[in-house]
Formats: sequence, structure tokens, C-alpha cells
Amino acid sequence: MIETRNLVKAVDTSEGILTILKGIGIKIEAGEAVAIVGASGSGKSTLLGLMAGLDGASSGEIILDGHSLSELNEEQRAILRGQLVGFVFQSFQLLPSLTALENVMLPIELKGDQQAREKATNLLDRVGLAERWHHYPNQLSGGEQQRVAIARAFATEARVLFADEPTGNLDTVTGAKVVDLLFELNREYSTTLVLVTHDERLASRCDRKIRLVAGEVVEDEKIGDALSA
Amino acid sequence: MPESSAATLSDNKPIGNLFSLALRLLWRDWQGGELRLLFIALVMAVTSVTGIALFTDRLEKALLLESANMLAADRIVSGRGDLPREVLEEGQARGLRTAEILSFTSMAFSDTGNMLVAAKAVTDAYPLRGEVIIADEPFVRGRPAQTGPPAGEVWLESRALPALGIEVGDSVFVGEAELRVSQIIIAEPDRTGGNMMDSAGPRLMLHMDDVEQTNVVQLGSRVSYRYLFAADEVAELDSFEEWFRAREEWRGRYYMRDIREESEEVREALERAESFLLLGSLFAVLLAGVAIALTAKRYSERHYDYVAILKTFGCTSAQISFIYLAIQLVLAAVAVLVGWILGWLVHRIILAFLESLLLVSLPDPGLQPYVVGSLTAFICLLAFALPPLLALRETPPLRVLRKDMSQQKIGPNVPYVFGILGTIFLVYWYSQDLELTVVLVSSVAAIALFLSIISYLFLRSSGSAGMKAGSAWLLAMTAARRRRKQNVLQVMVFSVTIMSLLILTLLRTDLIEEWQAQLPENTPNHFMMNITQNQIAGIESFFAENGIQGNQFYPLISARVTRVNGDLPVPGDQADVSIGSGTLTENAQLDDVELDEEVSEALSGPQTDAPPVNADEATSGGRRVRGRLSRRQVTWAEHLPNDNLVTAGSWWGSESEPGYVSIEQEYADWLDLQIGDRLEFEVNQQLVTAEVSSFRSVRWDNMQPNFFIIFSPGTIDHIGATFLSTALMEREQKILLNDLIRMFPTMVIIEIDGLIEQVQTIIAQVTSAIELISVLVLLCGALVLLACVNASLDERFHENAILRTLGAGRKLILTSLLIEFASIGLVAGLIATIGAEASVYYLQEEVFEQEFSLHYWVWIAGPLLGMLIIAGLGVNSTRRVVNISPLNVLRRVV
Repeated sequence: MIETRNLVKAVDTSEGILTILKGIGIKIEAGEAVAIVGASGSGKSTLLGLMAGLDGASSGEIILDGHSLSELNEEQRAILRGQLVGFVFQSFQLLPSLTALENVMLPIELKGDQQAREKATNLLDRVGLAERWHHYPNQLSGGEQQRVAIARAFATEARVLFADEPTGNLDTVTGAKVVDLLFELNREYSTTLVLVTHDERLASRCDRKIRLVAGEVVEDEKIGDALSA
Repeated sequence: MPESSAATLSDNKPIGNLFSLALRLLWRDWQGGELRLLFIALVMAVTSVTGIALFTDRLEKALLLESANMLAADRIVSGRGDLPREVLEEGQARGLRTAEILSFTSMAFSDTGNMLVAAKAVTDAYPLRGEVIIADEPFVRGRPAQTGPPAGEVWLESRALPALGIEVGDSVFVGEAELRVSQIIIAEPDRTGGNMMDSAGPRLMLHMDDVEQTNVVQLGSRVSYRYLFAADEVAELDSFEEWFRAREEWRGRYYMRDIREESEEVREALERAESFLLLGSLFAVLLAGVAIALTAKRYSERHYDYVAILKTFGCTSAQISFIYLAIQLVLAAVAVLVGWILGWLVHRIILAFLESLLLVSLPDPGLQPYVVGSLTAFICLLAFALPPLLALRETPPLRVLRKDMSQQKIGPNVPYVFGILGTIFLVYWYSQDLELTVVLVSSVAAIALFLSIISYLFLRSSGSAGMKAGSAWLLAMTAARRRRKQNVLQVMVFSVTIMSLLILTLLRTDLIEEWQAQLPENTPNHFMMNITQNQIAGIESFFAENGIQGNQFYPLISARVTRVNGDLPVPGDQADVSIGSGTLTENAQLDDVELDEEVSEALSGPQTDAPPVNADEATSGGRRVRGRLSRRQVTWAEHLPNDNLVTAGSWWGSESEPGYVSIEQEYADWLDLQIGDRLEFEVNQQLVTAEVSSFRSVRWDNMQPNFFIIFSPGTIDHIGATFLSTALMEREQKILLNDLIRMFPTMVIIEIDGLIEQVQTIIAQVTSAIELISVLVLLCGALVLLACVNASLDERFHENAILRTLGAGRKLILTSLLIEFASIGLVAGLIATIGAEASVYYLQEEVFEQEFSLHYWVWIAGPLLGMLIIAGLGVNSTRRVVNISPLNVLRRVV
């Protein structure tokens, strides 16, 4: 489903070129739930951004559902994102000027689906916010906002879901509930999940864990293997 | 190997969905108040342009119509003696309406009296514009008549009846013709637009067909013919005029005029008002443009995250552009509609209090003002708002993960380039004047550069200046310094805004003051000429007895410069040199040139039936020096006349000696004279030599007696002269003119009260228009200030939330905000004052042709106002910064 080959990301800084990712090569199968873990600055969010087509690599290759991202320009990557990918972010990233329902409807509408409202309502019901559909993000708690974001991520029935520290802004109890919901929906929709976190407990709920240190993969193991080992 | 993927990626998002998303975003942003300032700025631009365009469109049409009424026609052809019939026939062939006028002076006799009248014979179609106001009895208000008198009848001005001892229905003799007085003339449209002969006495109007039987008009008689033309289409008149001017052989003999050449005051007032209105609407639009640019920039900055999220969901850059373009176009369309309505209301409000002043009903406005208004909105949007909004399309989607990712592809200066191009286009579009555009744009650019350097220097130094002054002061100064880049922009915007307002205020004040000074309330409205020395005492006591305000008596004598330092004079330009143009009629000046010899003869005679003087100087206004050294009416005086300023040399004191002469500056330039030159004059066939002791500037437009040449007392006193004076006579005092004429029959009175009233009316109208435009521009300026303050709100919210979280009190933050804004305002006000004075200097010298002098009050008011306004607006807008809970702010910002 997703494959990176010798992926490098370097940026210009005032102190010279900083290489954030140093030749990453990983392969994620369809339906797999993979956690990318590592300390702050290890390059895990950068890797997520590249795999999701939000940014371009300096060198190397990324293949997303058979499409070589390095051959696509930003416009084509955008279209691909619209067709394939869903996101859940640490800071929720809901549009403050849209209601909960409208936020969930937005990606469905953008795909031209006529049943946007019906689908969005169902998903809001599924994440337990059916009664709050008309509320604006600033009228919702953090946990509620993240539930709306999860509903939005599944709204287009994306085949890959990228989650960047989905519980980073939530307390432990709320975070746990949100994670339960995320995994539940992930199973239900058979989505490939790529989850970036520094929370080992959250990572351990995935099928596989890839650890980055200073832009390099230092550990890539199936959780089941690790547990059985 | 992965399949080649690009081909399979097609974008099939329906336009309808994008548009509905755009509408929803628009609605939410509107509710959230984000778009309000942008919308208001757009509305202001449309309102001011539509309002001003509607108003000027209708006013100009009305003023032209009213002015045409002053001529009784749209175009007049005049000249000395008979006019070629061909002109009249050509006009008729082109479908123009035509009429003829023949003016002459004549004695009118009745059984009981006689008097000199200004006779005017007219054809049936007269007047082509305006109305003759007539009545059945003298000295009443009267009713309009569409034509002149029928054959066999005459109409007389009120004061002629008591002088002739007759009543309506009685007969008078004009030459050999006996004609019945059927109506009284209360007013006639072109009473002030005729020639000198029309001012020589009360009007007697007769039908053209009766002229022959009067037998007063014979070969060589002093008569003046005029052909009148009118048409509904200006183009027809223009092409007729073109035809006329193409006739080389008529050049210099026959003249075609319209109202703009007719009256210097009206022309100047109209031209200056047009310049001012143009400038006003330009300022209004440019200020609105700045407000649009500022609000659009802020709006787009607040939408980076939106766009990043939309892109994450698969929106392409083209779709982002579509969404934001749709938002702007819908917003602009609504703003245009609202602006049209408000613009219409604005022009109605102006007209509501101006309509009573206008003598004609206003023609309906065309569609053009609305088109201009809406185009302005879209051009403003294109130039000022679109660049930052289109920059949104470049937002990297990675921004959803990394907030610090920002626009990279469009350089930060691109919006300015668009704004500058838009500004240049707007200035040129409104003014249709390339020179004005170049001058205005380059001076604004120079001022902007100057301002940015000054404000940068100020802000750079503010850190150390604030070190010793308590914590609020320190906080404010460091804040000002930290935001140096934004603050330089803010100071620039504030300065330019305050400067625009100051420029407009100063110009407005100076224009209105000058107009009022030009025609103060007690401006004399009657000129009396051909007065002999021994009549002066009698006239003075007559005035005193009857409460008439008389003025100084000037001796008047015809003279010609014959030698300059012993050589023949060589004028600077032998061609048709024009130093300006006259207030009285072109005709009078033509008469002046061509009647040179006659006039001098007439002057020496005790009595004349023609105006005996070189009217252009005697009545102040005319100052055309037509390429030959014609005779000029000169005077001698002990004191420098009012409104004259010595520009070189010195005026003789009270113990003046004979043998000196003072020359008007432009006349001196024309003859290339120097102080100390010895001039020889031929005065009444005697040669007089005098030394040039001073040059003077003269206010030709003050409707007072003005002279090119003034001798020191004793130089030419021995040569017989007549005297000239002026008087202010109220309408009800005009009947006394009869007694005056009876007592001093040789005296000639020229009545210019009608002209003065008309000019004052027009000036009053134009003044009101200028006041309203100033208010509109003021509103636009306030909008810019508000937009500019708002532009820095986000950052302030965040900073102050952190400060308060760290324990800073509300008072400290508010005081520091106050100090920060007040200092920015002070600097902006000071810079604005410098810029305004410099611009006013240029505008007055080059555009409005006024004398410039420093406006001392502005140097205090400018900085003070800047400080108060910016501090008030700033603290008022940012008060929310301290009223909102820090947690809310921080949560929102995260």
C-alpha cells in the first residue's frame, strides 16, 4: 500500500543543510496499522507528511497505492489525497467557521458525493456527537473536536488514514476514548493506519512499530512478534 | 514497478460544490466579522465614486445648462460690424437652433424725458437658453417669457420708466421709430454676457424687424452683432465650432465663444472644483484601496490554515483560487449594489440642499456613474485584494503539521506591485491626464520612500529612548521596536491617510477662502466712469445721502508706451499674447483693441454715446495684452491699491515725487522691463517720461478697478483726465441710478450686480460640493486607520495573553498599548504634516494656481490629531485584547 525507498528529506537552515530523514526504506501493507514512534525531532512527523503526499522528498521514492509520489506535482498529489487519504491531527484542524456536521461533510462534498449530509450525520452518530452536529468547533471540548476530526477522516472512506499524535492535546482518559474510537473505525472500514506518536502505549495497540532516531529507522517490528519474543 | 500514475488522477470535484462551499465560507466569515471591514471598504469605494460621479455628472450638466442660460445660447459668434450670414446659414443647415442679436446704444425719448439706453434687437427665437423675466409693472418679481418682444413693441428695464416719465402702455421713440412699451424686463439671461454697449444704460429690447425703421443703425454705426446657436447634442456644437474655426480668413475678426470663455470666475470656479472633486474621489478610492489591501491581507493570513486543510482533503490550487475568487466576487457584487444605493443617496443629499440654488432643474444622470462605481470596486479588488488572496493558493498542505510553513512562491512584494499598478491605472482612468498621473504617482512614491525611512529611523531609536521611563513606557517602546517592520508600514499608512485628509482640508479651506476673498460680501457691483473732477464731490454727497457705499475715485487717462530707455519697445511675444483673460466680455476687449483711436477721441470729448473707456482695465478684469502695444487706461495714485502687492522695487511714499511709474508684473515681463528703466508715454498727444520704480502683482479677479500702469502723483495730473469709481448698490437702491444719471448726465454706469450674483451662486454650490466630498474622504480615511489597527490585532492578542498569563495587569497592558499607539500616531501626524504642506505647495502652485503660504496651525494640529486619533482608535480596537480571557486566546491560537 505504501512503500518508501531510500527516502531522504533535507532542509536549508541558517546553519547549513539539515538532513531530517536519512534514507528511510519501509513497506506498509494494505490494512496494516503501523505506529511510527520516536522522540521529538526524530523526523516522524516529516515521514508522515511525505508518505501522505503533503510534502515532497529531497530524494528517494514513495509509492502510495501504486502511485509514485515523486512523479506527481502538488496538484496531482492533492487529487490523490482526495481519493485515498484521510487525516487526524494533534490540533484537530477543524475549520472554525463550519459546524461539526459541515466539517464532516466537507471532504465528502469535495468528492462530489450527493449524500454528504446523510453520510456525515451517520458518522457523527457513530462517534457519539449526533446531538452536537450544529455546534462550532469552539463550542466543543478537545475530545469532542477530535471525535469530529475522526468522523471527518473516515467520511470519504479513505483507504489510508494518517494520524499525527491524535491524543497529543487530550487528557489521558479522553485520549483513551478517542483512540478506542479510532481503532474501532479503522477495523470497521479496513483502513490502512499510519499513526505517529511518542506514546508507547498507543503505539502498542498497532500491528507494527517503526522507531526513528535522528532520521533513521532503528527498529521495525510486528507488535505480535515483539510480544511473543 | 508502480504504474505511471499521473494519467489516472483526474479532478472531478463539481464546481457547484466548490461554489456552495465558497458561499458557506463567505457567510461564516461574514458572521464572524472577518469580512466586514473588507466589505465596508469596498462599499466606501463604490459609494464615493458613484456618489461623486452621479453628483458631478448632474451638476456639470446643470451648470453647463445654467451657464448656457447666462449666454442665452450654447455658442455665440460675435465680431466687429456685420457678421457673415454664412455662419448663420451653416448653423441652420446643421439643424442648430439660431437667433440674432443686435446691440447698440441710443437715446430713448418720451414726451417727458429722455435717456441713454442699451438697446438690444432680437429675433423671434431669442433666447435659445434661459428665459427673459418680464412683468406688467416695474420693480416686481415677474414671470418667464420664452421670446423677446414682438414687432412694434419694446420692453424696458424698470428704472427706465421713471426716468422717461412713462408707464407700461405708453410709447417711446427710438431713433425715428415709435414703439409701445408692452412689458418690463426684470431679468434677461445674457444681461451680463453681452458687451460694453449692454452695460451703458437700462435695457431697451425691441424686435429685429423694427431696427430698420429706427434708422439709428447705419453704415459705420457703433453696433454689435451676435449670432446665437444651441443644440441638444454637444457633438453637433463641437463639429460646428470646428467648421467655424477652420475658416482662416475669419480668424481675429469673428469669434465663437461658449460659457467657459465667457466668464473667468465661472470657468475658474468650475475647473478648480472639478480638480478638487477629482482629487477628492481619487483620495477616497485610494484610501479605500489601502483599506481593502490591509483587510484582504489580514483575511488571507487568517485563511492559511483553511487552505492547508482544504488541500489536505484534496483541493487543488486552482480550486482554492476558484473558492476565494468566488468569495470576493460575490462580496464585491453585493458591495457594488449597496455602494450604488448609498452613492445615490449621497448625491441626493448633496442635491437636496443644492437644488434650491440651481436655477435649472437637474438633468437625469446617465448610467455611466454606476458603471464607473462598479468598475472601481472590481479594479480595487483586483489590485488590492486579489494578490494576497491568490497567494493563498500557494499555501503548502504541510502547514497542517507545521504551523511555521508559509507562502513561498509569491514574493512578499507582489501585492504591492499589483496595488501600485492598480493605483496608476485608477489615477489615469479618472483624470485622463498622463502628466497628472505621472506627477501624482511619483510624488506618492517619493513620499512613501521618505516616510518609510523616517519611520524606520524613529522606531529604531525608540528602544533606547524608552529605557528610562517606567515599565508601561518600556513595554510600549520595545513592542514598537519589535514590530518595527509592521509598524513602519502602519506609520506609512497612517501618515498617508492623515496626509490625504490634511491636504484635502487645506486645499478646501484655501479654495473657499480665496473664493470668498475674491468676491466678499461688499464687492462693489456698479462701475461709474467718465466722471469729471468737479462732479466728484456731488457724487460723494449723493452716495452719502442715500446710504450707498462708494469707493475711491481713480483718475483715468489713455496712454501708450512709446519708448523704453529711448528705444522702441519690443514686446516679448508679438503674437497673440494672453496674460490671462477678462472678467467682462470678450466683446468689450475686442472693442478695446479695435476702438483704440475712437476711445481716445471719445475720452477727450465731454459727452459720448459709447463707453468711453478701455473697459478691460477700467473694470478690473480684462488683462489681455493682445500682441500690440495698444493704449491702456492708466491712472495715478498716492497709495498702493488694495489687493496689489509690490513684487520688485518700492512704492512711493506719501511724500512722493512726480516722474515715477509702477508697472504690473506680467506686463513688465512682457516688455522685459527692469526697475529704473525710463519709459516714454504718449498721453493725450503729450509725451511724458517716467522712471519705473516698482512692479506690482494685481488680483485681476477681484472685480475692482485694476491698472497695468500707475503714475506717481504729479506726473500726468496736468493732462486732463476723467475719473472712475465703484459703488455697492443693493437691489432696492437701483432706482437711484436714474437720479444719479439725471444729476450727472455725462457719467456712464456699468452694472455688474447680475454677474456678481451669478458667480456667487455658483461658488456657493461648488463650495457645498467640496465640503461633502471632504466628509466622504474623511470617512474613507477613518476606515483605513481602523483596518490598519485591526491588521495588527492577532499578534497583539497573542502577545498580551501571554503577558497576562505571566502576571501583567490590565492597566499596564492598556497603558502600554496607549503609549505605543500614541507615539505611532504622533510620528505619523508629524510626517503627514510635512508631506501635506509639500503636496499642497505643489498642488496650489501647479494645479490650482493659488499663492502658497505655510499653514502654521497644521504643524500643531497634524501631530496632535494623529496622536489622538490613532491612540483612540488603537486602544478602542485592542481593548478586547485585555478583556478576553488569556486562556481563550491561547487556546484559539494553538
